[in-house]
Amino acid sequence: MRREFLKYLFEMPLLWLGIAVLAALIFIGDTITDLEIAFAVLYVSVILLAVYSGRTGAIAIVGIACAALTVISYFLTRHGASQAGLINSTLSLVAIGATTYLAIRIEMLDARARQAQSELARMSRLMIVGELGTSIAHEVSQPVTAIAANGNAALRWLSATPADHDEARRAIERIVADAGRAGDVIGRVRGLVARSSPSSDAIDLVEAINDVLELVRSEIRRNQILFRSELASDLPLMAGDRVQLQQVILNLVMNAIEALAEVDEETRELLVSAAADERKVTVSVRDTGSGVPAERLDTIFEAFYTTKPKGMGMGLAISRSIIEAHGGTIYAAPNFPRGAVFGFTLSLNERAKG
Amino acid sequence: MQGQQPTVYVIDDDPSVRDGLDSLLRSVGYDTRAFASPRNFLASSRSEGPACIVLDVRMPDASGLDFQDELARMGYAIPIIFLTGHGDVPMSVRAMKAGAAEFLLKPFREQDLLDAIRQALEIDRIRLRKQAAEVDLHERFSTLTPREREVMALVARGLLNKQIAAEIGLSEITVKVHRGQAMRKMRADSVADLIRMADNLGLTNDKASDTAPGLR
Repeated sequence: MRREFLKYLFEMPLLWLGIAVLAALIFIGDTITDLEIAFAVLYVSVILLAVYSGRTGAIAIVGIACAALTVISYFLTRHGASQAGLINSTLSLVAIGATTYLAIRIEMLDARARQAQSELARMSRLMIVGELGTSIAHEVSQPVTAIAANGNAALRWLSATPADHDEARRAIERIVADAGRAGDVIGRVRGLVARSSPSSDAIDLVEAINDVLELVRSEIRRNQILFRSELASDLPLMAGDRVQLQQVILNLVMNAIEALAEVDEETRELLVSAAADERKVTVSVRDTGSGVPAERLDTIFEAFYTTKPKGMGMGLAISRSIIEAHGGTIYAAPNFPRGAVFGFTLSLNERAKG
Repeated sequence: MQGQQPTVYVIDDDPSVRDGLDSLLRSVGYDTRAFASPRNFLASSRSEGPACIVLDVRMPDASGLDFQDELARMGYAIPIIFLTGHGDVPMSVRAMKAGAAEFLLKPFREQDLLDAIRQALEIDRIRLRKQAAEVDLHERFSTLTPREREVMALVARGLLNKQIAAEIGLSEITVKVHRGQAMRKMRADSVADLIRMADNLGLTNDKASDTAPGLR
């Protein structure tokens, strides 16, 4: 319960401060005005504010707190007609109850819609990846099949008695040609994944990170994660491809959320930070999730390597190629006391001019 | 017929895969002929001996499975080894049901392909042997006179000489002579042997025809 509360506080400190101040003001107003004045109805606005937290539990707590404050005010108020006051307070309580109920309903429907949307996004992403995978597999398997056949043929021609050098040479020439063809396919795929050179925008990294966090906010909420971000306010503008860097950040955050989903709700913490020193900017995503075994940290960025049951093993490989195309490095390390930290550094030579 | 050099037909629209397979199979010692499409294969003359087809399923002008159907319609029962770039399960099941010898996913191990080819050629050899035996049987049967054929059919249906004589209105002696002639011309070692041949010729059906069934 205490942790729940902390999670709420950490997530939107301003919102909760606002709610607390508004509720306090209404409480004072309700207490000092006469009984028959239905000041308590104004608590409805507090409940509506709480909707922004996007948590049904929080809305319910705020509703109950408002109702309790109304009752306390009724007993604290010294002046006015108690009869009318009782009726008005009851009406206020009904209004608070109805508003709370409606707010929770709205939030639930909203959450369902958001969930459906994110499912849809994931499905379409999987479809694209599946299609892409099939066509790449076919494109690459042709030259590879030919290379294997020619290679075995060349070995046989050479080990025959007498060796047939002409046939062997022709087979080897074909191997060279097919290897070139396979290389072309791979080059095209790379071009698809990360355009040959990233476009060069001047990027405000903090803004770029916040955009991504906006996308995953509902995921973070749904998974009951205690989330914090520490983004330095004095980051220089970086040169690079904004969309690609956001893809990387999104990938790291989504991985963290998935790793957190595997551990107990009470211990789910996520910290996204960005900081600069004189030589480089570091963006890191730290989670207290299921973590990565130490011996796998080296291989985790390789293509088709995955620790997830349904993973493709492409996300981190693509992330690495994007960061390297930006002249940076991507890294993974264990987090203390548990979980993992993934991040990347971009050198300040990549700073945007002007 | 038996000692003939086996032939492997490679049909693949991708020139690099086609050339590679062609070279590989020639290096193993197979007489290999490569085609860019099933149409080219159908238009060419075919060898006499045992053969099999190595076929890429993703063909532009006709899918491998349609080609398989077409061969079946033509009555050309040559074993086919399918190569495919994507493991499409329903497609492979269909191919197997239609008598594919093997279904290999590219890129495959060389040994798997060579094993598949060896098996396919063995299957084709047995098929040819059976076919040759059948042709031979029909040839022998065609040397029989109508009377001898009649007697042979009745023997195969389990009638005794006496019953056959009554059935076709000949003396028992004459039936014995016809029967002996049929045995000799058919090169049957025993009555059981003759009955087996009659079976293969379809003479044991109730409507035993007095002409040899046409060659398939």
